[in-house]
Amino acid sequence: MVKGSSLPDEKLAAPAAVPPAGRPAAGRRLSRRQQGGRPAERRALAARGLPYLLVAPLTLFIIGLALIPAAFTIIESFYRANPLDPPTRFDGIGNFRRLFANNAVITSFGNTAGYVIVGVVLSTVLGIFFAVVLRNPFRGRGILIAVLILPWALPGVVEGILWTGIFDPSSGLLNGVLSSLHLTSHGSVLLGDNRWLTIVLIELVQVWQITPLSTLLVLAAMQLMPHELFQAAAIDGCGPWQSFWRITLPLARPGIAVAIVQALIATLNVFDQPYVLNGAATTGASITEQTYFISFQNLDFGGGYALSLLITMITLIISLIVVRGVYRRIDY
Amino acid sequence: MKQRGRIAHWAGCAAVLIWSLVPIYWSLKTSVETEAAARAQNYVPLHPTMGNYATLLTRSGDLPGQIRRATLNIVIECGAATIVTVVLATLAGYAFARMQFRGRQTLFYAVLATMAFPAYTTLIPLYKIMSDFSLVNTYTGIVLVYVSGFLPLATWVLHNYFVSMPIGLEEAALIDGATRLQVLRRIVLPLARPAIISTALITFLFAWAQFLFPLVLSTDSSTQPLTVVIAALQGRHVVPSTLLNAAGVLAIAVPALLALAFNRYIVNGLLAGSNK
Repeated sequence: MVKGSSLPDEKLAAPAAVPPAGRPAAGRRLSRRQQGGRPAERRALAARGLPYLLVAPLTLFIIGLALIPAAFTIIESFYRANPLDPPTRFDGIGNFRRLFANNAVITSFGNTAGYVIVGVVLSTVLGIFFAVVLRNPFRGRGILIAVLILPWALPGVVEGILWTGIFDPSSGLLNGVLSSLHLTSHGSVLLGDNRWLTIVLIELVQVWQITPLSTLLVLAAMQLMPHELFQAAAIDGCGPWQSFWRITLPLARPGIAVAIVQALIATLNVFDQPYVLNGAATTGASITEQTYFISFQNLDFGGGYALSLLITMITLIISLIVVRGVYRRIDY
Repeated sequence: MKQRGRIAHWAGCAAVLIWSLVPIYWSLKTSVETEAAARAQNYVPLHPTMGNYATLLTRSGDLPGQIRRATLNIVIECGAATIVTVVLATLAGYAFARMQFRGRQTLFYAVLATMAFPAYTTLIPLYKIMSDFSLVNTYTGIVLVYVSGFLPLATWVLHNYFVSMPIGLEEAALIDGATRLQVLRRIVLPLARPAIISTALITFLFAWAQFLFPLVLSTDSSTQPLTVVIAALQGRHVVPSTLLNAAGVLAIAVPALLALAFNRYIVNGLLAGSNK
């Protein structure tokens, strides 16, 4: 991505860096010279050390609690690390081989694929739809945006609780509505019975959480589009549908790409919603849930490391492919 | 034609409202009902009662005690993590934006690289590190993990904001003999207030939403945040859904009010954080 390019120019930052060491100290050096010039030098030295002091805590956090743990995950995934089966020893690709021989793990890959497909498609489509609704100014738009971001702000676990009230077989809203329309019999079980129905319904809860960000990203991209473009198209006889498909959608690609990537990362790592809505039941368990079960219930840390590494690699590779495929830089 | 467009527009607005609010409404409704009333599935609470909240907030006993402790825990953990994250991110973001030092590029890329990894990559090693330092079941352990998770994004957002600020005022102050820290405190911080508020809000909301990390890092109720305790209640069938929903409403009250009150800051912060 183009993240690094926002570092300021050397030229821009350089003059700012000189004065603290040079200018104020220089003025004082004349008067201090008789006394030996020590405080000025000390001040200059302190100014030079300051940036290191400012970034030191961040550096410690990054090294100690991000880079070292990440290295651990990579290295230990090739070790047999299980407190019930000591000592920790090198095991080559043993962990990976055991994972692929484990049916629950294989199933969780399928489940996660289900979460990803349902989640990415629904959150992107809904995000584009909501962005179109909120695109032009109207009275109450600010309130609507505030309401829109609500689900994003709430903890996934508690969202699971909110939605159990909707999915509950006997007192849930969904069954109530469906059975009053005579679409289902009263009290039919929605979660945990049928694998794909379970996955779709659980993912709906996560879509509820991630759609606000998708909407905002697409909306921000739409806000950059010049009005004249649509006026010109309208004069040329382009209807609203046509201008949506031919102009809005292609020009919103940068926003849509970022929206898809955030949805991908969230859905590939889904944990809270299936954990709460479906408990420890294996119907619909995601890869992250399996990682948790393997490491913290079976205490097979080696297997957990290997599975974490796999999800990380999959996430990075798929995100990269999406960015390459969907993202287009657009200059107006 | 125009009429149809207007109807479509209001239908779209209604869709946004229904989609965002119905699950919250249903939970609020259930939380002010008795168990019998909840089973009747009315769309509005016919005889609203605050009984469930009274039970959770004032009654003594196992469950209410646990909920109150978990509420205290989540406030402490999120508050501490937010303060530490914002302070450290401001200092580092400013250094990256305005100062020259050795290793600046390398460190900056390291910060960005950590943002690319899914958070759960480091779940198991972080647990092991915390248990090696006896920090499992401590506030310190949870806050350290939260800060390490949120610091890269916060630094990135604040760095971008500092870079976008006009540099003239700072240069003038430096030439007039102000020190770097004086410039930071008197000029940069007041000007960067919107970005700092955005960063603090987003960090706080992220921290409030955490579940898997505290689930692993706190095994007893001394440090378990509300999210972990509520998820544990869900599995227990003895807890009535009305009480569970009241606890859920308590857990979403703070983030929901923050989101409604400060939505502009949150929208700006989110867009600054994800548009690269």
